[in-house]
Amino acid sequence: MSELEIAKFIPWVPAVGAALCGLCCTRERFRAWAGPICVASILIAFAMSVGIYSHVVGDGHGGEAGHHIAGPHVVTLYTWMTAGAMTVDMGYFLDSLTMIMLFVVTGIGTLIATYAMGYMKHDPGYPRFFAFVALFIFAMLTLVMADNLILLYLGWEGVGLCSYLLIGYYSKYPVAVVAAKKAFIVNRVGDLGFALGIFLTYYQFGSIDLNVIIPAATQMIEDGYTQTAVLSWIPFLLLIGAVGKSAQIPLYTWLPDAMAGPTPVSALVHAATMVTAGVYMIARLTPVFQLSPYALPTVALVGGVTCLFAATIALNSNDLKGVFAYSTVSQIGYMFLGVGVGSVGGVFHLSTHAFFKALLFLTAGSVMHALAGNLDIRTMGGLRRKMPVTCWLMFCGCLALAGFPFTSGFYSKDLLLGDAMAVGQTWATVAGVLGIITAFVTAFYTFRLWFTVFMGKEKYDIGDAHHTPDNELEKAMIGVAKEEAEHTGHHPHEPHEMPWWPMNVPLLILAVGSLFYGMLVKKITPWIADMLHASTEFAAIHVEHHGADYGGGFDTHQVVEIISGALAVLGVLLAMVLYWLKPGLAGKLTAPIRPVVTLLANKYYVDELYDLLFVKPLRVIAYLSYAIDQFIIHGLVLAFGWVPRLVGMTVRPAQSGKLQGYGIGMACGLALVAFIVFWATA
Amino acid sequence: MNGMVEKLSTLGPEMCLLIGGCICLVTGLDRLGAVRRATVWVAALSLVCAGFLTVDFEAHDHGVFRVGGMAPYIKLIVCGVGLILLMIAAGVPMQLRQTVQAENAKDFEPGDILRGEFFAFFLFSLTGVMLCASADDLVWLFLALELTSLPTYVMVATAREKTMAQESAVKYFFLGAMSAAVFLYGFALIYGATGFTSFDMIRQTAAMQIETHGAITPMLLIGMVLAVIGVCFKIAAVPMHFYAADVYEGASTPVTAFLAFTPKVAGFVALILLLGLVAWFPVDGEFVQLPPVLVALLWIIAVLTMSVGNVLGLLQKSVKRTLAYSSIAHSGYILMGVLVGPGLVGTHGAVGDGIAAVLFYLPAYGLATIASFAVIGCMRRNGEEADSFDDLSGLARRHPWLAWIMMLSVFSLLGIPPFVGFLGKVYLFGSAIQAQYIWLVVIAVVNSAVSAGYYLHILAACFFGDPDKDVQRYPAPGRRLGAGIAAFGCIALGFLGGWIVNATHDANIPGVDKSAAPITLDDSDDQVSATKP
Repeated sequence: MSELEIAKFIPWVPAVGAALCGLCCTRERFRAWAGPICVASILIAFAMSVGIYSHVVGDGHGGEAGHHIAGPHVVTLYTWMTAGAMTVDMGYFLDSLTMIMLFVVTGIGTLIATYAMGYMKHDPGYPRFFAFVALFIFAMLTLVMADNLILLYLGWEGVGLCSYLLIGYYSKYPVAVVAAKKAFIVNRVGDLGFALGIFLTYYQFGSIDLNVIIPAATQMIEDGYTQTAVLSWIPFLLLIGAVGKSAQIPLYTWLPDAMAGPTPVSALVHAATMVTAGVYMIARLTPVFQLSPYALPTVALVGGVTCLFAATIALNSNDLKGVFAYSTVSQIGYMFLGVGVGSVGGVFHLSTHAFFKALLFLTAGSVMHALAGNLDIRTMGGLRRKMPVTCWLMFCGCLALAGFPFTSGFYSKDLLLGDAMAVGQTWATVAGVLGIITAFVTAFYTFRLWFTVFMGKEKYDIGDAHHTPDNELEKAMIGVAKEEAEHTGHHPHEPHEMPWWPMNVPLLILAVGSLFYGMLVKKITPWIADMLHASTEFAAIHVEHHGADYGGGFDTHQVVEIISGALAVLGVLLAMVLYWLKPGLAGKLTAPIRPVVTLLANKYYVDELYDLLFVKPLRVIAYLSYAIDQFIIHGLVLAFGWVPRLVGMTVRPAQSGKLQGYGIGMACGLALVAFIVFWATA
Repeated sequence: MNGMVEKLSTLGPEMCLLIGGCICLVTGLDRLGAVRRATVWVAALSLVCAGFLTVDFEAHDHGVFRVGGMAPYIKLIVCGVGLILLMIAAGVPMQLRQTVQAENAKDFEPGDILRGEFFAFFLFSLTGVMLCASADDLVWLFLALELTSLPTYVMVATAREKTMAQESAVKYFFLGAMSAAVFLYGFALIYGATGFTSFDMIRQTAAMQIETHGAITPMLLIGMVLAVIGVCFKIAAVPMHFYAADVYEGASTPVTAFLAFTPKVAGFVALILLLGLVAWFPVDGEFVQLPPVLVALLWIIAVLTMSVGNVLGLLQKSVKRTLAYSSIAHSGYILMGVLVGPGLVGTHGAVGDGIAAVLFYLPAYGLATIASFAVIGCMRRNGEEADSFDDLSGLARRHPWLAWIMMLSVFSLLGIPPFVGFLGKVYLFGSAIQAQYIWLVVIAVVNSAVSAGYYLHILAACFFGDPDKDVQRYPAPGRRLGAGIAAFGCIALGFLGGWIVNATHDANIPGVDKSAAPITLDDSDDQVSATKP
């Protein structure tokens, strides 16, 4: 058995972990074991991923000479089902892209689960929570390792289910239930597209195996092909799935509401891993997307528009987790932009984003924890003295998110923006410019939040004593947040720092990653860079980006790096001035553009718009359907219920319970058959 | 004589069970209580040994075991499911007041203890099924079918101390005898029409008749019709289904579980073997289909069986009766596969091969039905066996494990993915569609929908009803374990059904030449591999 064979057990370790955590739910005395079991199972999966790394990616001595990447490997656990000519294996597809996703999911997953051990300690549903988390990791690993689209879809639905369960974790609060439902329903729209895309892919390629589809698509591009309707439909249907799962325009509205789940879940599911599944899928199937000339530009433009759009909403959000939620939407927009222009930056940004966004959410969780669930940043200030560790950890995360020069976020974002500008086509340039503008906005809103919360005069509210929530959603969110904070078992009278173990140590690792991972990749060691580069090599016909020479040894990439780095620094400085040094200034400056601020505060009224466009008409249709149902269908259903019963009543007398009756029945039946046979043969 | 010795050498598993049954008879009467109590273990051991004897450990290539033809496959299934049935039935003798009294009596009176007989008959009946699967002669087949049924008559009568049980045993016996008469008449006509009792010779004669006249002679056809109708009794299909509900209700619940599986397997195996006498072989290089009369007959029987089972299932107050009708309805579904026959369509995989679908569905149906009966068997109302929907009421709150097992098995029966029942229905319905029996499939799907009415009724009682204090759990750990294993099997096979599918697909019916089917399924004729993890 080669060492690659252990790969097929990677997803199953968390599955076993989930089962064990489930068992822990049944007995009071096993409760405390659930957290360690869950962490251990994810950690083992991580260790196994490390173990197979060298076998998948090659010996790692590639360097400049070319990427020593062995072709993709497929290991099959067993044949899942056979239907006619179609065989679906429980098979796993291993290449560089898979490895990156494995490291992100299991590595970041381990850290977040460790943090959650402390965070969820006093929650009554402690083992249930970890059972869901381990189940989620199982589904996510299935998704990223699947060697065929059906298995990928299984993982895709699996993470959706776990996300639903985890958003609705505080099922006591209607808002959590509503948010969970919203996430599920919006994702259904996307999944419908995805499923249709898979059907059409099967129809087109006659297979659902990745290592059949992708080479076939690559071959078609090389040999030339005639554009057919099916070929143009496939990428767009798949894109609908990706847009739903990754919360892009127009299906992004569920993600901000999904923050109703426990904060570690927001970090794990709704920032670091699940929401990037769409990016993964597009990166994986890039050749299929290239079969339509409009698909990848659409991906890039959707990404570019979403990233600026969501960033502007984050500008005026006063909800600690809300800002990060919109920033997640925005950052995934960057990733879409990256994979849309065929840049390795998309996947690179996916991995750096996992570090800093997980860090940001978890530190936000710490703040929330300390303030007994208060989420309104307007009531916070100067918390750096009360919680210094959290303050500086979040600072690291904010730097990376803002794309401050030489942090991870800087390298990954600028790689993809540089590639976008270097493509040299209008759509890519437009998307790239949107991205560059967003870099400034991102830096500004990130540090607006950080300066407001941690700098300035010390002030804090415990719980929501003085603050009147703006709307129902916020009110209930605060309820959920209070619920979370109450797990500590006491009501703090002033904010307190989180314990080092198990909460701050994982954050420290994340912070180091947020700051130095990008530099490690770009400047120091080639092995991750090789892996990143190779991650799109198999999937995409790699677009070589040279870019224009701007003289003086500057090429497009360097120019973009300088511009966006400068914009990031500017954004940070502006935020420092407006929200720390001259606190009153922001209000005065925005006074003339009041309507814009209101528009932003109401998130462009998109929820209302959807309400008007979809929910209300659907309600009307629903009422109509109800009427039809009541008067017509119900009658039919009743008939469906009654007709068989009536038929049953008529044959029932035959079941008299009398032996003679039965004997006669059998004899008559036989006689009838004999008669018919004679009649038929004669 | 040589032929006999050769034949005997293939009957290892049967001999094993037979010897096991005889030992059970002895140990069940022993003076030592410990030896008497070991009877059930003797039975289990002989089942395990029979299972090992069935698997040909020599015949594997590249580490993949070969199950081989239909006979070994059926024998394996019988051993496996038989073990689960044994777990469920292990507590039956000690449920009888007579046995308990005799066990506790000062003066040991072996005749009062009904342990040895019960397990011996249990094994004898399973031996009958195995013999059915390896039958190659009409007389053999008849004896094997009767060996399957005769012990069950006694089991129904003795395993429960209620007049109801005796009454149903008598009904079962008389009607069974009548059906035996019908198919024996059929066998006699087949013999008369061909002059042979050996399957091979009958098949050759039928081939000759088809070659010369274009069809089999009317006498052979009438013989086939009578044989099929008679065998319908074993599978509880219309018009021989009347007994099922009464007998299933009257018998002790573990015995009911046994009845719902064992005679059915024997019946379907016999049906496949019998139909293989006049069809599914090549004549002049052409694949012979079933005669139109038999096609029409099976079509009508299938439709009537599933419909009657489902509509009557809706009206019942007794869960056991409901499940009895469900088992009738399932016979109707399985008959679709028999009707389609082997390998009409050449896509590799079970879809298209009706016989493979039948062979897959038998254990799938068996596990789910057994699990559901076993759950009912675990419950008691005031010391009496539980039976009505009220007795299951609130099961989820008092015994969540049992309720979940019930849910799994009912979902599997209903054919909800990812349980094995779903896979089974996909294969059955799929093969029927491939063979152009569109209307049959439509009727079957409508029937599946109707069946949801009573299946969900069972679940509604379990999960939404209020618990009743008078209903207690009967302390029979083996029964719960057996139910659990069966229910687990419903899930596990739903995911790991692949290798069974291969096994069924490759399970050749003796004498039926699949290589001559319109599109060949598998080139090797004798033993074909089944992947085994």
